[in-house]
Amino acid sequence: MAGLQDIRRRIRSVKNTQQVTKAMKMISAVKLRKSQERLVSLRPYADKMKAVTLSVVGRIKGHHLADELVLGPSAQAFLNPRDEKRIRVVLIASDKGLCGGFNANILKMANVFFEGRSKADVVLDVVGKRAADWARKHGFKANIEYLGIPLTGVARVSSEVCDSAAAQYHSGEIDALYVIYNHFYSAVAQEPVVSKVFPLEFDTPANDGKSGVPHLLEPDPNTTLEALLPRFVETEMLRSLLESSASEHGARMAAMDKASNNAGDMIGRLTLTMNKIRQASITNQIIEIVSGANA
Amino acid sequence: MSDPILLEVVTPNKRVFGAQVSEVSFPSAANGYYGILPGHTPVMTPLGQGLIYYVQDGEKHWLTVFGGFAEVSSDHVTILARNSETVDEIDLNRAEAARQRALKVLNEAQTETDLNSAQAALDRSIVRIQAAGHPGGHGF
Repeated sequence: MAGLQDIRRRIRSVKNTQQVTKAMKMISAVKLRKSQERLVSLRPYADKMKAVTLSVVGRIKGHHLADELVLGPSAQAFLNPRDEKRIRVVLIASDKGLCGGFNANILKMANVFFEGRSKADVVLDVVGKRAADWARKHGFKANIEYLGIPLTGVARVSSEVCDSAAAQYHSGEIDALYVIYNHFYSAVAQEPVVSKVFPLEFDTPANDGKSGVPHLLEPDPNTTLEALLPRFVETEMLRSLLESSASEHGARMAAMDKASNNAGDMIGRLTLTMNKIRQASITNQIIEIVSGANA
Repeated sequence: MSDPILLEVVTPNKRVFGAQVSEVSFPSAANGYYGILPGHTPVMTPLGQGLIYYVQDGEKHWLTVFGGFAEVSSDHVTILARNSETVDEIDLNRAEAARQRALKVLNEAQTETDLNSAQAALDRSIVRIQAAGHPGGHGF
């Protein structure tokens, strides 16, 4: 059995670790609140943006007038998607570890997604150091690496990705844009998801029956669609980035909370052992004294 | 009877408004102001900047709007604004100060970028001042 001195040292070291994990938990809680605030305020906008885009594009799509429209490049992408040959994927993970299964889950998802796809057909962007490491390890040449993006920088990233993805689509370099990110449900529940940003997929029938009339697009269809669709892509990107950021801090907070609890348990166990050893040595000494007195 | 149009105004930063109204007016980017009554044909258009008004329980209320999109159908109007605020949120003193500042820059501006940004700031401040003053007509 370990000596008393050793156990005292262990307890001290575990206590230090616990202090660190407690502090990290607190920091994550603050960061989580900030990310979550932004996410919660963006969500209604993003949801509406998606609903409006689906309804506008869906109604044109199902309508005979669609053939008469002369469409601009963005509208083409949404209404008449090309066959998907080359895709662009934005993989969003975190810069730092110590956040439970956050990165492991998202990278597992990426592994599944990329299985059976030729690397030559994928343009990969990575957000976060962990994603960049994964890409390097799996032989991907990352197109753009976004590392150490602060919360204030996500808007810039999303507009950059949106602009360059649009340019790539128009030049025929890519046929679709995907995002792989962690969807934020709550501080303790996140789920990795693969989401296709464009071309849009219609889960519901394009025409909702209730109002099959396509929207009047004013001043003219081209101007309106060319203005709307890039904004839609940008909003989706921004939402994904914020979801991921909130998820990361939530996951880290949960992981650090667990670590602090585990450290507490360990300290309890070690203290118990220490007391037992001390008591044993005291008992021993008493026995020695008593047997000495008897002799 | 409750009002027949569901008006929703959302921006990337918050949900500004969402309730049943009986009449809406908003500024489009290209065609001036649209007035929407129940049963309007579906329309989708980019927004300019200016004032939105809506009529709720027979009373007229005002909002500012700076760019974005509006989707109209027979029973709802969705405004996806780049920025929008209610009259209560407008700080008149700040808007007035912004107007003075913009005017000053406009007089002294050297480059076209300065001129454009000052003009944009001036336009924004004017919209806010008008909204705060509850004008009786359609802006400008």
